[in-house]
Amino acid sequence: MDEDLARYAMETAQEKGAEYVEVRLQIDRETQCFLKNSIPEPAVILDAHGLSIRVLCDDALSFAATNDLSKASIRSLAEQAMKSAKASASMVKNPVRFSREKMEKAKWAAAEKKKLANVGADDLFKLLRELDSSIGKEKHEVSFVNKLLSASITVEEKIYLNSDGADLRSRVPRFQFYSFVTASYSGKLQTFTIPPGYAQLGESGGWEVVERLKLSSFVPEEAGKLAEAVKATENPPQETVDVVLGPDVTGLVSHESSGHPGEADRVLGREAAQAGESYLKKKDLGYRIGSSEAYVSDDPTMPHSMGFYLYDDEGVKARKRCLIDGGVIRELLHNRSTAFEFKLKSNGSSRATLYDREPIVRMANTFVEPGDHALEELLEPVKLGVYIKSFMEWNIDDKRLNQRYVGMESYLIKNGEVKAPVKNPVLEITTPKFWSSVDARGKDLGFRAAHCGKGDPMQAIPVWTGGPSIRLKNVRVGRR
Amino acid sequence: MTEIADLAEKAVKEAVRLGASDVSALCYGVREGMVRFSNNSVTVTKNLINVELELYVAKSKKRILGASTNPSPNGIRDFVKQLLDACQHLPESPDYTPLPRGKRYRASGAERTAPVADKLLAVSRDAIDSALSEGAKRVSGALTSRNVALSVYTSTGVSGSDVYGSTVLNVRAFAEGDASGHGLSCAPIVTGIGAEEAGQRAGEYAKKAVGAKTCQAGTYDVIMSPTVAADIFQHVASAASAFEVDAGISFLSGKKGKRIAVNGFTAFDDPAAEGGLVRRRCDDEGVSTGKRTLIRNGKLETYLHNTTTARKFKEETTGNAGIITPHPWNLVVEPGDRSFHELVKEVNKGIIVTNNWYTRFQNTRTGEYSTLPRDAGFLIENGRIKTPVSGLRISDSIPRQLENIVAMSKERRWVQWWEVWLPTFTPWVLLKNVSITRAIG
Repeated sequence: MDEDLARYAMETAQEKGAEYVEVRLQIDRETQCFLKNSIPEPAVILDAHGLSIRVLCDDALSFAATNDLSKASIRSLAEQAMKSAKASASMVKNPVRFSREKMEKAKWAAAEKKKLANVGADDLFKLLRELDSSIGKEKHEVSFVNKLLSASITVEEKIYLNSDGADLRSRVPRFQFYSFVTASYSGKLQTFTIPPGYAQLGESGGWEVVERLKLSSFVPEEAGKLAEAVKATENPPQETVDVVLGPDVTGLVSHESSGHPGEADRVLGREAAQAGESYLKKKDLGYRIGSSEAYVSDDPTMPHSMGFYLYDDEGVKARKRCLIDGGVIRELLHNRSTAFEFKLKSNGSSRATLYDREPIVRMANTFVEPGDHALEELLEPVKLGVYIKSFMEWNIDDKRLNQRYVGMESYLIKNGEVKAPVKNPVLEITTPKFWSSVDARGKDLGFRAAHCGKGDPMQAIPVWTGGPSIRLKNVRVGRR
Repeated sequence: MTEIADLAEKAVKEAVRLGASDVSALCYGVREGMVRFSNNSVTVTKNLINVELELYVAKSKKRILGASTNPSPNGIRDFVKQLLDACQHLPESPDYTPLPRGKRYRASGAERTAPVADKLLAVSRDAIDSALSEGAKRVSGALTSRNVALSVYTSTGVSGSDVYGSTVLNVRAFAEGDASGHGLSCAPIVTGIGAEEAGQRAGEYAKKAVGAKTCQAGTYDVIMSPTVAADIFQHVASAASAFEVDAGISFLSGKKGKRIAVNGFTAFDDPAAEGGLVRRRCDDEGVSTGKRTLIRNGKLETYLHNTTTARKFKEETTGNAGIITPHPWNLVVEPGDRSFHELVKEVNKGIIVTNNWYTRFQNTRTGEYSTLPRDAGFLIENGRIKTPVSGLRISDSIPRQLENIVAMSKERRWVQWWEVWLPTFTPWVLLKNVSITRAIG
């Protein structure tokens, strides 16, 4: 990547009167392979390569990007960004300003032991064939009539400069896997994913991630558990019961009903017409949303994580954020613009997926903090309840108040013991009710990879969702 | 146009020189302008200028697909070499199908002035002002205008180009409390956008939604606006992709030639539909596209194919490649014979849903799903619109709903927005016996 080009872009915008300029030169390379019904689909190689400029002028913000990296094109792009900023200034009622932050020069990267540069599509196909064989054609009398497996490696490289003095170089390699399986049992067809909930197994790192994720044992074991779930015929109880949720469910709940509503740009209404707003208002720091057992954090600095970064896309150093602290809303996710509005400092939450996407407030790795209970201790006091270990269907309204998770691998709990599988228990619950019902947390913290959608144009950004098993007291479970 | 045509041709010739047996190149020149606004204020303007090359290469029955945004001559040469190098290590594909012979076709559409954000500001202002004049307190949204110049070149004799545009105005207005309304206008070019109408609709709905309360879970008749119907129908069109059928994840698997919807329901894919936001005269394999009837009078007539899936299904390609996944271009649903008010009169106990989001499936093979109504919704009792409602969820199955269509409107609208990726021209739809749930607590 040509750093001089980035400097040229910045100088051009400054010449034209920009009060603030940032430039991001970014290359994203990806190799992805699919195995459909054990047959390889064409391998896919992507190479996204370009430069973006973001300027502030007359309290107006403008973003521009191109993959034409000639000097003439970059000059024209910077001029266009300035022209659009100036033209829009008369329609800016709420001035866009940035918080003052300490800017640094740094070079950082996610650890990569076995270089992905040495991994090709043939390696991905070999891995997929092994995993496909490990799932097999049937488990527990349940036939797997269709399978679609995908594995991919990506490398994201950036040069980031801004007129406040940030000068950053970064490199994040990642590996990810997902699969769809159609199961057939006694005339019933059910699709599920491994891992369940349309999630992925993924981490930042090199080819060593495949071993770290224990794919060769996880995938067939999960296929077996989900096959058993397909056979479930018993309905969940209709009365108010205690519910134990597995880490797969807990992690997504933390992402959907704490992380998203905790994005300060939503709170301020900036995403209202697309991803929506939030149940939280500007004044809600310190608001009690849950029980004293409700703790949610987001931490971009976790080694190996899918959402790993050390500096955000506004040049701010990343740190762990405490979103819900003993049931109380403690912190929102901020970029420099929302931090200015709140009279705070940015907590480094600005991210963009590709060179031609604007950096906006995003989560990184959102999770329920673990407690000290073993799973058996969570189950032990439950006289009658449901253990929802994983799910498939889920959604939440655009203020993040009305959420639903439909169980996949789920069991009845009787007198503290896990009993028969139950069929598709539905946890359809308001956000305050959910977090107020958290009674105890396990110590089995686990993470799933996902690509979280937000922004316009859409940006699907890599994240982890995580948590331990948790217990909810006195909630209703529906039937599908 | 000449530049991108040259890039496509160069890429194909280089791949052939390196021994490829089948090559297809698509080169896109994309210019996009965008204005985003919230709380009646512009939050950001955006301008994007991109050239992207997509290249499919087969050699010795090994197949690879690439996309690069490095369009310099050296960049193209290196990328082609990278694909061919990677290709030689791949396994042979039992699904390999030679690209079909094709022909040259003439350029369609005139080159247009590239959209830039500063030219979109006045239209955005009209939308905001119109919503406010209807009683909204604050207005958010985005206006995006896009020009695409596409050149296709294949090793089997196809070359040609298309120029098309899409402009989408998405407006969300808020009145007191949480009351909100949605307005949308979609057209190939910005002069076709009805900013005032979209703004007015968003503002009017927001005002009418004030004081919304939730209602009992249960079974209701539901009138879906074109925006909501488009979301559901796009999933039907996607499920018709032979890739999804072959992968076993489609609720239309095994349904070809069978009744899947009520008699009278007809929908087709049309890459040249008037008002459509995509225009394609050949697909990613260079095969001529055309109007394809997916569902005629309730019966599923065809799956969507590329040459690979067509061979596998022992059928003809429908000109819907995607090299890996065949897909629709513009979905058009035939209109009904009712006015909106006549639809309302038919309902004893029902709900009007004007917008929705977050459609997710419990089981893609059976089509069991749920989605969340958003913005204004209204209870209907005995043929009359009553109070605004909120906090509900549609929890049903798409195959069941296709059989429960009671009537549709004469009026249709083009829909594409954040939640609806497939440009869809659809009427209002009245469904009977829809399962509605709500959160507890």
